[in-house]
Amino acid sequence: MSSLDMELTVNGRAVKRPAKARMRLLDFLRDELNLTGTKEGCGAGECGTCSVFVDGKLVKSCLMPAAKANGATIETVEGLAKRGGLTYLQQAFHKTGASQCGYCIPGMVMAATGALRENPHAGLDEIKERLGGNICRCTGYSKIFEAVELARDVMNGALPVTALDGPGAGASYIGNNVRRLDAPSKVTGALKYAGDMVMPGMLHMQVLRSPVAHALIKSIDISEAEAMPGVECVITADDVPGEDGFGVFVHDQPIMARGRVRYVGEAIAAVAAVDVETAMAALGKIKVEYENLPAVFDAEAAMASGAPVLHDYAPDNIVKHIPIRKGDVEAGFADAELVVEQSYETQPVEHAYLEPEAGLAYVDHDGVVTVISPSQNITHHRHMLAKIIDRPINKVRFIMSPVGGGFGGKEDMIYQGMLALAAMKSGLPVRLVFTREESIISTAKRHPARITYKMGLKNDGRITAVEFRMISDGGAYGLSTEGVMRKAAILSCGPYDIANVKIDTHGVYTNNTPSGAFRTFGAMQAQFATESHLDICAGKLGLDPFEIRRVNMMRSGASTHTKQKLGSVSLGLALEAAEKASGWESGPSVARGGVRGDLGRAGNREPCTLGARIRTSHDVDTKEDIA
Amino acid sequence: MSRKCRGRGMAASWYGIARTATIDRAGAWAELDDGGTAKIVTGVTEIGEGILTVLAQIAAEELGVRPEDVTIGDNDTARSPEAAHAGATRQTYMIGNSVALACRDARVRLDAEIADHWGVDSGSLKAFDGEIWAEETNLKMTMEEAVDICKKRGVVPVGSGSFTAHGTGLDPEDGSGSPWQAYVFGCQVAEVEVDIVTGEVQVLGIWAAHDVGRAINPRGVEGQIEGGVVQGLGQALMEDYKLEDGHTTTHGFAKYILPTSLDVPQINSILIEDPDPLSPLGAKGIGEPALVPTAPAIMNAIYDAIGVRITSLPATPEKILAGLVAKREQEGTRHHAAE
Ligand code: FES
Ligand code: FES
Repeated sequence: MSSLDMELTVNGRAVKRPAKARMRLLDFLRDELNLTGTKEGCGAGECGTCSVFVDGKLVKSCLMPAAKANGATIETVEGLAKRGGLTYLQQAFHKTGASQCGYCIPGMVMAATGALRENPHAGLDEIKERLGGNICRCTGYSKIFEAVELARDVMNGALPVTALDGPGAGASYIGNNVRRLDAPSKVTGALKYAGDMVMPGMLHMQVLRSPVAHALIKSIDISEAEAMPGVECVITADDVPGEDGFGVFVHDQPIMARGRVRYVGEAIAAVAAVDVETAMAALGKIKVEYENLPAVFDAEAAMASGAPVLHDYAPDNIVKHIPIRKGDVEAGFADAELVVEQSYETQPVEHAYLEPEAGLAYVDHDGVVTVISPSQNITHHRHMLAKIIDRPINKVRFIMSPVGGGFGGKEDMIYQGMLALAAMKSGLPVRLVFTREESIISTAKRHPARITYKMGLKNDGRITAVEFRMISDGGAYGLSTEGVMRKAAILSCGPYDIANVKIDTHGVYTNNTPSGAFRTFGAMQAQFATESHLDICAGKLGLDPFEIRRVNMMRSGASTHTKQKLGSVSLGLALEAAEKASGWESGPSVARGGVRGDLGRAGNREPCTLGARIRTSHDVDTKEDIA
Repeated sequence: MSRKCRGRGMAASWYGIARTATIDRAGAWAELDDGGTAKIVTGVTEIGEGILTVLAQIAAEELGVRPEDVTIGDNDTARSPEAAHAGATRQTYMIGNSVALACRDARVRLDAEIADHWGVDSGSLKAFDGEIWAEETNLKMTMEEAVDICKKRGVVPVGSGSFTAHGTGLDPEDGSGSPWQAYVFGCQVAEVEVDIVTGEVQVLGIWAAHDVGRAINPRGVEGQIEGGVVQGLGQALMEDYKLEDGHTTTHGFAKYILPTSLDVPQINSILIEDPDPLSPLGAKGIGEPALVPTAPAIMNAIYDAIGVRITSLPATPEKILAGLVAKREQEGTRHHAAE
């Protein structure tokens, strides 16, 4: 491969070193100079985690060829402060708690540094605008804004440097805003995530993924790929020595497709080679013969008789059905003065943690198969992998690396098995780092839901009965679907004391991308329906939204939908607190936005006109008055 | 109706803490170490929520040292006690309490030696921020000295803790059961502005009141609420993983739209502390519950603003505009019928 002799200045030091052809500046910094504080969140200029200064200009290094940076002066997050120190801005991030998982943070720090260099007096709106190209999935941005404003004020002398200090011991360390202990490692880019880790002799893995949604695999020919120079091993389902199958509840998913693929993006085979390019080239040499099967892409269609069946153990395609019954719903509806029916739908959602999946596996001197990855559940993964590779449990070791955002999406053992198999087969350490696209197409989503809701009420708002049915597309494999259906069912009808409920949640197999654990585990989908429905009913009854909830809310000692007797119930406190803090003006739930008197008070931000996502020809016509 | 319509909506929520409908457990080891520092080993890794800092605060409080004196070991199935997984809003509750118990256990060892050294009752010993003293006496020393004395007497002040949460499974027929021993409740109010020409919705303010049991680090709790609210906002208004015959059409951030700095509302957090009576710390959790009420509060606010009920997420500009058209048609029909 041709290379280019690079001569440039990086963080104040002269660097002279060849760069491979077509190398991006990002790769040069990370792979050649080991400056791994600069992260790759998307590789497409869309997230900002790779931001660096090139000749003083903020640049997304994933978009810049290394060759273009030849001769330039580069500044990365590692070079902002003197070694061992923090800039005011980094200290401000530490102080306000602006870093959570930390994966976006080096890029944020660079963008914010750039913002204050460009305009040391930047106001909040300008700061927001200048950070607009940097995505953070964890923080909700609020504490980041606070940090940048704090740093600005300290740098301008408006606040003393002591404003950056920690809070001190006070009377207790509980209830104390102790500054995050991990923040310095995150704001400086020092923290190593799995994809930043290297080992001597380490191989790089690439994964061949299914281009079809449902098919039998007639044959896989890996001979040509295996024979390529630089390829150390190719693995398929045939390399699994034990009982192949993982999942959070039901172990229905093989490490790599076993005779059959069930969704687009499913792993078929993997190559471990001396570098990513060779591994990628080898994927192109693997020949797979598919025989397409009829596929099903809709949960309700999958429940119909005659639908294609995904897993032999579940001929009805049902992963899990959770029923909850309490009281007598028919009697409850008969007793009602108002019955309201409505259906609701929620979409599949991508976790979009900024750190794509990554891991590093090796077999140690004692023959212990070791996997380092940001897995959210290494205890369970150890159990499953021991069975899959047929080793005693203490010969399997999982180490949890810092997680660059998880939200449930890293509970699935979606790639760790491949790494372990390749390390066992090659005898060398093997690393795999997903691309953003790979992460999106192959890993779990939030379960989409279709909910039908029927509620009976008295005229005073008292709920007499609820019938709740939710159908969720679980996708091609079970993952967490069973647990998600259970939690959705238990919490479905909300924190309300209802004598008669009939609840059913169904998780269903389809040939879509699998659904799995995602922050709230089904509760959000179910309660979205309940809380929307309550407002609809309140509107019909002329009640205030808070009032209808107070009439029905569980109180201390209440019995839940699963007939659990509760101790203390704080819902009344929460309602009161939100109502008071927002200065809520009570009134019936009937589109009274035009007349209510509590709008626009403190606690809101200004509407913004800067980043309007949608632009239409009407945009010029701002005074248009409709209806 | 003017072009920009504002409205408000609210939603309440509830959530269970730790694993569902099963017994949950977590273990931890603690050691008061040389120099008055401390080592905690447990199956925990930071996933962003601030758990390492929370555990260091808990250990500091229980052991009488400073959070920055606490080192937390790596999460390694071959080296650390099991504490199960990082999810289910369980880390503060499960691992926090197991760390507290482990620290108390270590303190029993240390306190026995120091009490004997001073000739006082061990119940009179108190420790905080690097010092240990006997109440109602002048006896006081640094934790560094205390550890040194303890070790010279032949005792290493170590401890272990295991915390259990007792959930029960659901009956397969009627679903009855006690899935969690701790529940949290919350309520959010949203204020939105809807542009009826473009269909764009801006969320301007969120007031989020959540019971967390006990806030170990209030700023960290706020961070969880802010992050949860913005994920809820993303799901409410823009995020949509799309598939066509099993192939996604949203395979990058150019197509899969996420909230950016320009989309976020001002988030006003109100922390409610209704302590959990079944655990040593009283803390419950906030990671997941924070986002449950956001989307319905926003949908209810959109309805309040323009009278359009969005029942299918996300509330994209296209759906808002279609809703406005349908509403106008309906009103037109009604008007016509009345003539
Ligand atoms: S913008 Fe470069 S990695 Fe995302
Ligand atoms: S802290 Fe920003 S992505 Fe996690």
